[in-house]
Amino acid sequence: MMNKYFTAFSTVTASAAMLVGFISTAQADGHANKGMNIPTIEAAEFMTGLENPWDMAFLPDGTMFYTEKCKGLSVRTSSGDVNALYGMKDTEGYSDAGSDLFCDGQAGMLGVVADRNFAKNRTLYLYSTSNKYYGDGCKTNFEKCDGNIVMKFTVSEDLKSVSDRTDIVTDIQYKPFESDQPFGGPGAHNGGRLRVGPGGYLWVTGGDRHRGICPQDGQLLCGKVLRIDGDGNAHPENNPPEGFDKRIYTYGHRNVQGIDFRPSDGRAFTAEHGPWHNDEITALVNGGNAGWDPAEKIAGRGECPDKYCGYEPNQMDAVDPAVRAAYTPMSDTRFEDLMPAAWNNNGLSQGTGSAAFLKGSNWGIYEGRLTAGIMGIAFGDTPAGSRIDIYDLAADGLSIKSAIQMPLGFSKRFRGLVMGPDNALYAATDEGEIYQITAK
Amino acid sequence: MQASSGDIEAGETRYNKTCVNCHGPAGKGVASYPKISGQEIAYTTSKLETYRDGIKIGPNSSLMIMMAKPLTDEEIANLAAYLKQATYE
Repeated sequence: MMNKYFTAFSTVTASAAMLVGFISTAQADGHANKGMNIPTIEAAEFMTGLENPWDMAFLPDGTMFYTEKCKGLSVRTSSGDVNALYGMKDTEGYSDAGSDLFCDGQAGMLGVVADRNFAKNRTLYLYSTSNKYYGDGCKTNFEKCDGNIVMKFTVSEDLKSVSDRTDIVTDIQYKPFESDQPFGGPGAHNGGRLRVGPGGYLWVTGGDRHRGICPQDGQLLCGKVLRIDGDGNAHPENNPPEGFDKRIYTYGHRNVQGIDFRPSDGRAFTAEHGPWHNDEITALVNGGNAGWDPAEKIAGRGECPDKYCGYEPNQMDAVDPAVRAAYTPMSDTRFEDLMPAAWNNNGLSQGTGSAAFLKGSNWGIYEGRLTAGIMGIAFGDTPAGSRIDIYDLAADGLSIKSAIQMPLGFSKRFRGLVMGPDNALYAATDEGEIYQITAK
Repeated sequence: MQASSGDIEAGETRYNKTCVNCHGPAGKGVASYPKISGQEIAYTTSKLETYRDGIKIGPNSSLMIMMAKPLTDEEIANLAAYLKQATYE
């Protein structure tokens, strides 16, 4: 078992929450380097004993902010101290908390990212589920239900508190009730990744929250990727279709939990979680359509359970993934503005989490390639496959040249990936760890 | 009742075949999937039998019904025995 393996090889440090134990060293081909710069990759536990860590954000000195889905925001300082900064409702031990913040199912406190000018303005952005802006819109699953927000905070110089909470996006939809779907609980398909892209703009990824009309609707923010400034205003060059909310950069998404920007050209790529088929890596196009449309009574479909065709046909029974893909495609080619996926997991869905480009010459031939966490969901005949993939993307973003599994020597549900200032890849797992993955 | 005589080792093997993909190592619970370790054997047995019978008892019942359908009485007993004592360190 992995636990025993960890125990045997980890080194003990002063705190149970912070330790470094080298657990894996491997090369992709299992052979010695013969001319190509293939790095030796090592994974070590950086933090353990966490509760559903979801995302991290680094400062240049190694300070790491991180979220735990049902607890809140904390920071691990460069000296290794941990300060609990902003908790969810009813959590204890945080210097402050939001009484409106809660978690349910896939929803909770998710993305975190520091402002590009953090050194000057101490600004941090945070995505969470909130009931503050429900209004009368959350009585059923078929209403707008603004239940996800993006907050902006000022972080104190001593990293012990946050202040000046400002809610800069207050109208990202949330699923409040159970529905008749396989993963039917509240909080489904909740997106939630935050990243700062070229020019310092904030990118926000969303999910369709199990509402059929979401991804193709121009006014709802569910199933969209947003590009906004630090006050929540649309980037002036966003180019969504006429009549759409101008904060929308791309639409037609199912559930985007991964986004990063290619170092060579700044282009945004997403990792998107498929239904029973087709996880996708996609190069975004300003105003483009990712092609997900789970609405009923269109595209040759009839009525669907709770007006959502995302798992049909026969959503409760085993069906060939290709049949489902034909019924409700992840990338529907009937859309003229479709952004074709560069990778589709061979037509299967094992669940994508986060995505991050590898930066630094220490990564050798992998420098500049995209990584994505695959969470290993295995239903029907789909094999389990918890792993981190490395993709060599074509220059035009429309295909890949290769996809390999990062040679870690172990499997976890990799939920959050982000590069650290030390050119290591940091990976949060649903099991409760954050790994530091180095290459040399 | 077979539940009281489940084989812990066989239960662990069966658990790691499919259950671990959602409920995580040793039934600790991950993401939106609940912790299922530490429960009394009768409780886990009853839940799995209920799902196997196709009865909904929660928002993700459809998934569990799908996973429980192929389980034999012996496999349920083994899983219940394993999960009763499973811990994640």
